[in-house]
Amino acid sequence: MKGKRLLLGLMMTASAAASAWAQEAKDITVVLDEEVDLVEPCMATRSNIGRIILQNVSETLTELDVRDKKGLMPRLAESWEEANPGTWRFHLRKDAKFSDGSAFDAGDVKHSIERAMSDKISCESPRYFGDTKLETKVVDDNTIDITATPAQPILPLLMTLVTIVPAETPIEFTREPIGTGPYKLTEWKAGQSITLTRRDDYWGTAPEVTKATYVFRADPSVRAAMVAAGEADIAPLISELDANDAEMDFSYPNSETFYMRLDHSIPPLSDKRVRQALNMALDRDAFIGTLLPKGAIKATAIVPPTTLGWNPDVKVAPYDPEGAKKLLAEAKADGVPVETPITIVGRTNNFPNVVEVLEAAQQMFEEVGFKTKLQMYEVAEFEKQYSKPYPENRGPLLVAAQHDNARGDPVFSMYFKYDSNGRQSGIANPDVDKMIAEATAATGEARAADWKKLIAYLHDDVVADVLLFHMVGYARVNPRIDFTPTIATNSQLQLSEIRFK
Amino acid sequence: MTMSSTLPSTQISTKQRGKAHVLLGMLWRDKFAFFATVFLILAVLCALFGPMLLREAAVAQNLRARNLAPFTLERGWLFLLGADALGRPLLARIVVAAQNTLMIAAGAVVCSGVVGALLGLVAGYSSERLSNVIMRLADVIMSFPSLLLAVIVLYMLAPSVGNIVIVLAITRIPVYLRTTRAEVLEIRQRMFVQAAKVMGASSLRIVFRHILPMVVPTLVTIATLDFAFVMLAESSLSFLGIGIQPPEVTWGLMVAQGKQYLTNAWWLAFWPGLAIILTTLSLNLLSNWMRVALDPAQRWRLEIGGRKNG
Amino acid sequence: MGKKMMRRIVSSFFSLVALVVMVFFLSRLTGDPAALFLPIDATQEMLDKFRELHGLNDPLVQQFGRYVWDVLQLDFGDSIRKARPAIDVVLESFTWTLQLALITIALVTALAITIGSVAAFRPGGLFDRFVSLVSLIGASAPDFWIAIVGIVVFSITLGWVPTSGTGTVWHWILPVAVLFIRPFGLILQVVRGSMLTAFGSAYVKTARAKGVGNRSIIFVHTLRNAMLPVITVIGDQAAAMLNGAVVVETIFGFPGVGKLMIDSILQRDFNVILAAIMVTALAIFVMNLLIDIAYTLLDPRLRT
Repeated sequence: MKGKRLLLGLMMTASAAASAWAQEAKDITVVLDEEVDLVEPCMATRSNIGRIILQNVSETLTELDVRDKKGLMPRLAESWEEANPGTWRFHLRKDAKFSDGSAFDAGDVKHSIERAMSDKISCESPRYFGDTKLETKVVDDNTIDITATPAQPILPLLMTLVTIVPAETPIEFTREPIGTGPYKLTEWKAGQSITLTRRDDYWGTAPEVTKATYVFRADPSVRAAMVAAGEADIAPLISELDANDAEMDFSYPNSETFYMRLDHSIPPLSDKRVRQALNMALDRDAFIGTLLPKGAIKATAIVPPTTLGWNPDVKVAPYDPEGAKKLLAEAKADGVPVETPITIVGRTNNFPNVVEVLEAAQQMFEEVGFKTKLQMYEVAEFEKQYSKPYPENRGPLLVAAQHDNARGDPVFSMYFKYDSNGRQSGIANPDVDKMIAEATAATGEARAADWKKLIAYLHDDVVADVLLFHMVGYARVNPRIDFTPTIATNSQLQLSEIRFK
Repeated sequence: MTMSSTLPSTQISTKQRGKAHVLLGMLWRDKFAFFATVFLILAVLCALFGPMLLREAAVAQNLRARNLAPFTLERGWLFLLGADALGRPLLARIVVAAQNTLMIAAGAVVCSGVVGALLGLVAGYSSERLSNVIMRLADVIMSFPSLLLAVIVLYMLAPSVGNIVIVLAITRIPVYLRTTRAEVLEIRQRMFVQAAKVMGASSLRIVFRHILPMVVPTLVTIATLDFAFVMLAESSLSFLGIGIQPPEVTWGLMVAQGKQYLTNAWWLAFWPGLAIILTTLSLNLLSNWMRVALDPAQRWRLEIGGRKNG
Repeated sequence: MGKKMMRRIVSSFFSLVALVVMVFFLSRLTGDPAALFLPIDATQEMLDKFRELHGLNDPLVQQFGRYVWDVLQLDFGDSIRKARPAIDVVLESFTWTLQLALITIALVTALAITIGSVAAFRPGGLFDRFVSLVSLIGASAPDFWIAIVGIVVFSITLGWVPTSGTGTVWHWILPVAVLFIRPFGLILQVVRGSMLTAFGSAYVKTARAKGVGNRSIIFVHTLRNAMLPVITVIGDQAAAMLNGAVVVETIFGFPGVGKLMIDSILQRDFNVILAAIMVTALAIFVMNLLIDIAYTLLDPRLRT
């Protein structure tokens, strides 16, 4: 009898231990590709940080919905309108609370904007505002006026990039982010994991996931293996090469556009025919479904098709090696040094098989008569080649880079990549500068039309660069979970969108 | 040096033959060492003539043959080992890559070995002060991260194959230096060195005639395994932008590039990795065999072994 | 002995200083952390602001003076990327590396010496051949092969151990096994080679001739004589491990100092690089000191 009871006790202990090992039913583990150095809310636009805290811990006034294509949606602001030219008035929700218990009000918004723009801290946000200066005026607890100089027609969209922190947050990087979101950061084991736990006092609908643990594995095969072995539930970034299980693996447009930046100031790239020849030499279709995933789309603009003002009438240059040869011969006859070796500069680990993709492009260029050399660099050296000031005595360069714009408006790309003063611009064209300035200031229908015009002009008339592909990412999701990645998955992973089957 | 002349030599009294014949005979009897030699000769031949003969085939891309599995013959013998992600035949690429690979590996191993051994001899045999300086220098090199060294070299010098050799050689020096010194410290206490000293032999003579030969076997053991290390480490420098860039290729680079395909096209990383393993293994087997074969006190082992086998 | 030790410690200190000075200036030649920390389309204004904030605009000598002054007060500066004290970051990961290195090197030493000397007893024998071949293949195979195949076989197919991560003792098995293989092969070969040389040396022969037939006595004699190079090579391998095990750390998500060092170098996070080098160098210096002490213990003739 005694023995029996003992055995029963042992068995109970054993089963308790077993259940402690298994995942709690509504807890999930997410495996990411790199450890975050910071969980600072004002850095949430950096994708590795955003995937953890954006809209989970720290919320924004407005939110861009791409899942149901509803466009700009309210979040911490319930509504907004342009009060005077240049001044936007935001009406804030009254029921939101920070995870430290304090109530959310206009003072918090004011402090968050000032903090993000401050000289004393290196936040990412100022990059999206460029030379625009922001001024805030608290009207009452739940109303705030934000004035931009010069006037900023897309200010409500820009507010998707500013996370709100309590007014007491010091102006230095914090390791304990406090936000109004449905989760709070409860544990951070440096180098190992970060844990978010669901809050009971969230203002919105309570999400299903109770706890999310983020772990970090640099190797894509290991990330895929962890989901396969049941150790993780979501791996937002796995390699296409490991995505071999239709049950678990989903592809999604990852908002990156792969292109080759041409430096128009250096011959032979200064000649339009040479640039056209480069574009015609590439058999873009040969890449898709072989070196690149099937879902990759041939690009005609540096922004993905979901962006405002994307122009469906612009057509990809046809694959025409004979035409390219002819253009090169014409250019040569006019004294253009088409035989100067051109260096293709790539970044190692830009995406899984970047070296193979560039080697294939190199061979296509050589087949029509270009002389090329491939040079792969790590990120710091690559950055020197990609951004101004460009190195002295550089030869003709094709810099192969990826550009990420999931923000819905080309303003986040065009100035940097095409304005005469843009840091990665290869062109200096007064007409383009003017068109960018006009489109940036325009609103509504006119804005879309202006961007459309610019995109066509850059592609067809200037032949600014060699645009290649809008890229595709792969995520592996444990079958017990109901989650489909979207174009936003590259920059955020809202736990509230995750359901259980 | 043809095989036909060595075959019958096993039956003939060794006295009538030259030393080379004796050695070759012994080599033939030790099958491991024999195949090691054959493989190394093959590798060197690939390095010498490979790029000349197969360069074209090794860079010809063909996306339809992408990741072609090994042991399919319909595309010709060059595709025997399969094809890489751009449909280039792996066999041809391995043959062509032998040149850069062996050049860099041999360069780095020989440079670090020679410099390390010389410094080690000095540190082990000279005054304590000088020895101390050299050993602390070794400490500094050991603690200096090799990646940082590579980045610095990249920024100060232009990317080139020579720089790979320099970076790799510098980082490997302490191993040889410290091992040599440790051996010297022990050997210099031995009877025969003390005797040579008493008889008035110069330091230089003692070091090179009496001590160095005793140290070499250990160094060679380390060097053969370092070959593998250097071949694999070299690919991580290409990643920084130093040296070998595609479409040029080395075994290490092929292994590194094939890494991401390991779970779905294993052959991309496997064959070049196998080439590295076989080279290292061959060097090691051959050096082990030579250590015995060249040592009169130990040669009996091979001769006995031979008789048993044959 | 004590005086010699003192001298040794002083000279080690100077080489540490030389190392830090070298790394401080050389690393700053290699690029600008501002461009790497900030997004690629940061404005010039943001870049300037960032440099100002982190004192990167001052002349190098002034930066160095400030660094030395801070270090003397045991302030190793903040990590630019992590916005927290560099030394905390380094010590956290070094603790992991140290544990991993100690466990692995203990296993390697024990197994390589035992198996290597047994193999050397009958060179060319079946055991010797087999052990040499297997260990050599292991030592020259790319380590990520072993790691990934290990995960596929032992974690996914068999489900014996977790794929990666930390937490339980089971998490250590694969990383230690992968890290074990290369030094094991190398040290085994050195043990075997040294034992062979020692077997051939005069006094072992004398011992044999004298009729000290007892194998164990010969064994102990020889082993002691063969240990000097073996200890050196073990030390070198341990030093390499103290610098971190990059492949193991990357694949198994092990938060060691190797990946930290690489990330910091690629991101030009100078304070972390310097702190990491100081910590690992100190560990390596201490280890080399221990090795030299071991020399004199093993071979009394070396005591001068």
